[in-house]
Formats: sequence, C-alpha cells, structure tokens
Amino acid sequence: MTVLVQLDGAARRFGSGHTEVTALHPTSLTVEASELLAVMGPSGSGKTTLLSLVGGLDRPTEGRVVVAGQDVGSLKARDLAILRRRTVGYVFQDLNLLAGLTARENVAIPLELDGRPIGEARAAADAALDSVGLANLADRFPDDLSGGEQQRVAIARALVGGRQILLADEPTGALDSITGESVMRLLRAHCDGGGTAILVTHDAAHAAWADRVVFLRDGRMVDEARAASSPDLTTTAA
Amino acid sequence: MSVRYGLLALLDEAPSHGYQLKTAFERRTGGNWALNIGQVYTTIQRLERDGLVESLDGDPAADDERRAYRITQAGRSQLAAWFDNPVVPEAPARDELTIKVLLAVAAGDIDVSVLLQRQRRASIEQLQAYTRRKAKADPKRDMAFLILLDALIFRTEAEIRWLDACDARIRSVSKEAAR
Ligand SMILES: Nc1ncnc2c1ncn2[C@@H]1O[C@H](COP(=O)(O)OP(=O)(O)OP(=O)(O)O)[C@@H](O)[C@H]1O
Ligand SMILES: [Mg+2]
Repeated sequence: MTVLVQLDGAARRFGSGHTEVTALHPTSLTVEASELLAVMGPSGSGKTTLLSLVGGLDRPTEGRVVVAGQDVGSLKARDLAILRRRTVGYVFQDLNLLAGLTARENVAIPLELDGRPIGEARAAADAALDSVGLANLADRFPDDLSGGEQQRVAIARALVGGRQILLADEPTGALDSITGESVMRLLRAHCDGGGTAILVTHDAAHAAWADRVVFLRDGRMVDEARAASSPDLTTTAA
Repeated sequence: MSVRYGLLALLDEAPSHGYQLKTAFERRTGGNWALNIGQVYTTIQRLERDGLVESLDGDPAADDERRAYRITQAGRSQLAAWFDNPVVPEAPARDELTIKVLLAVAAGDIDVSVLLQRQRRASIEQLQAYTRRKAKADPKRDMAFLILLDALIFRTEAEIRWLDACDARIRSVSKEAAR
C-alpha cells in the first residue's frame, strides 16, 4: 500500500504564553492511495487546520507532515509551491474561481503557473472538465454557472494534470443533496482510480462516501468510523 | 398500512394471484421489503371483507393459492384517496435512542459525550453501508432501490444531526458552568 499522506505527531499552535491556542494537538494519521478520508467535528475543532497542513498552506509547529514522500515542514517555499501545483489540489468552500476567466482558463491555471505551454495546459483543462461532466461549459464564465457547476470546475482544477491528492473543505456546503451527491461521486471515482482525497464536511450523508471517517474535537482526533465489509439492509414491511 | 395500499395499487393494474402480488410488491419497493406470503393472504382477506377487492372466479372453496383477485370500484376510490392525501406523521414513536440520551443526561454520572460519539460512529458506519449500495446501483434500472436507500440515508442523517445538536447543547451549558 502506498501511503500518500502521513501525519506524525503533527500539531499547530498559534500565539504563545497565555494567549496560546492549540488548533491541532499532536496528531498521527496515514492515508493511502485509493482511500477517501472524511474529517468531521464541530466548528473550531481543527478540521481546516489539519487540511491546511496537508495541503502545505500552513506548517506544523511540532511533528511532521509527509505528503507524497516529502516532508512539508522542511520544504523550501519554492518546492512547496511545486508540490501544490503538481501533487495536491485544494477545493475551498467558496471563492474558488476567478471571475474574469472562463472555466477552461480557471482549470488551466495550475499548469500554466507550472510553466507548461498554453496549448498543452488548455488541452489538459478540457480533459479535466470532461471528467467532471462539464466539457460543454468550458467557455462559460463562473458567474454564468450554477453553484454545483462551479464546484465541479473547482474539482477539475484541483485534479488537472493528474494531481493525486485532492483536499476538499466543505465542497458540498451550498448544494442540494443530489448535486452534492454528484460531487461525492467525483471524489469517490478519483480515489477508486488510485488517488486520495480528504474531505472536510458537516454532512454525514456525504462523509459516508468515505472509507474512513475521523472525528475531531477540540483539536484532537477522538474517534474513527470505517466502512464495514458486508452491509445488511433487509427491511420488513409494516 | 403500506402493504394494504401496495396490494390495492397492484390489483388496480391487473387482477392477480397472491404469489404474483408478493413478487410484484417486492420488486416495486426495491427488492428490500420482504413480504411473507401469509401476510399477503391475510391482507387480501381483509380487503375482500371490506369490499375493496373481490375473488375472480367466485369459488369460495378454492385454496388461497388458486384464487385470483381484482379491485372493486370502492377499492379504486380508496386507493385514489390514499394517493391524493399526504401521509400524516403519527405522534413520535417511543424510540430507544431518545430515551437513552434523556436518561443519560438526567443520570448525571454518565459521560454523555462518549455515549453520543459511540452512537455517532455506529450511525455513520450504517450510512457507509447504505452508501456503498447506492454507489453500486444503476440510476435508471434501480431507481426504486435508490429511492428506498435515500429514505434510509436521510433518516440516519437526521439522527446524526440530532446527536450533534445534543452534543453542542450540552457543551455550551458546561462551558457556561466552567466560567
Ligand atoms: N490564524 C489563527 N490564529 C489563531 N487561532 C486560529 C487561527 N486559525 C485557526 N485558529 C483557531 O484554531 C481552532 C481550529 O480552527 P479551524 O479553522 O481548524 O476549525 P474548523 O474545525 O475548520 O471549524 P469550522 O467547522 O468552523 O470551519 C479554532 O479555535 C480557531 O479559532
Ligand atoms: Mg473550517
């Protein structure tokens, strides 16, 4: 099994002395290829903090975070940026897309930043949009897309160019349940194809698409649920 | 209730034997609502007693298995009324989980947040099992099954939201007390 994400006693504290806040206490966790992990917990429990550490948007104040074999805490800024462009994609709850660019241009950004020729970047963007079922909307601007379509464009951008690790913070927040489900099917398909995704959500029905659900509370991982192998579903009519 | 109207709806489409009704009912409800044949026959007998269905060949001596039934005019109007009216939720059933949580809160010496988390994990694992079935189903061919799964999923989800709300309420009170 390939471990793609590993936290080794990783913690994040803010401030110091009597104003110190521990957003995440020392936490250990591994996520393998093909695994979809969901993170649940009340507001302020450290979910976004955990995701930011894995995404290299923030560094641990203690312990190690290893992503695709690289120790995020000790990477130089330049190498961290490369990791983010090539290996890890991030989907935020909102403000995902640049309004002045079409869907295709938005999706192509990470590749263009990575110095790929524009033609190649756009072709890869089209392929990514196709994989989320939006090939026909590539020329639309974000304002002309529904919330669910925008979220799928954001996922295409997070995955473009074959990035393996997808991090999603409440990606289904404002969507109705069937549209949210279509977003979950995309995450599931990404993992079934050998990638990895970590999903932060308050929505249990969406978390249930994951192989494993970890629960945070006051900055600590307190529990874990796993998909059982042989579900039994038979009901009896009343 | 649902079996009674389910059989009426099937008989409204075509006269049938008990066994045909059993298999058709199970197919319509996604293959997961098992009926036993005895239950089908008792339900038919009640429908017949109430004048909503009648035996086709009118031979009262024939075995259950050999008798076919058809819907009557009265049966048709009752069925139409059933479809036309919303299902009215009954008074909340006495449910074990609610009672357990209420008693745990009152007891004072039980760690309610541990109890709630244990329950939350069990409910999520149940949801994971439903969701696996959903992921494998074909949206067109298995629509009835998917609709049934959605019913189970949303009920479980509601239970988890309730657990979260209990947890948050208890925490906010104990934080106040700590001040
Ligand atoms: N830059 C910061 N400075 C100080 N404290 C912070 C900072 N970022 C986060 N925190 C604190 O760390 C804790 C965890 O925050 P985090 O954003 O990870 O929570 P969360 O689980 O994502 O919550 P939500 O569900 O509300 O998004 C909170 O108490 C928050 O106030
Ligand atoms: Mg957050």
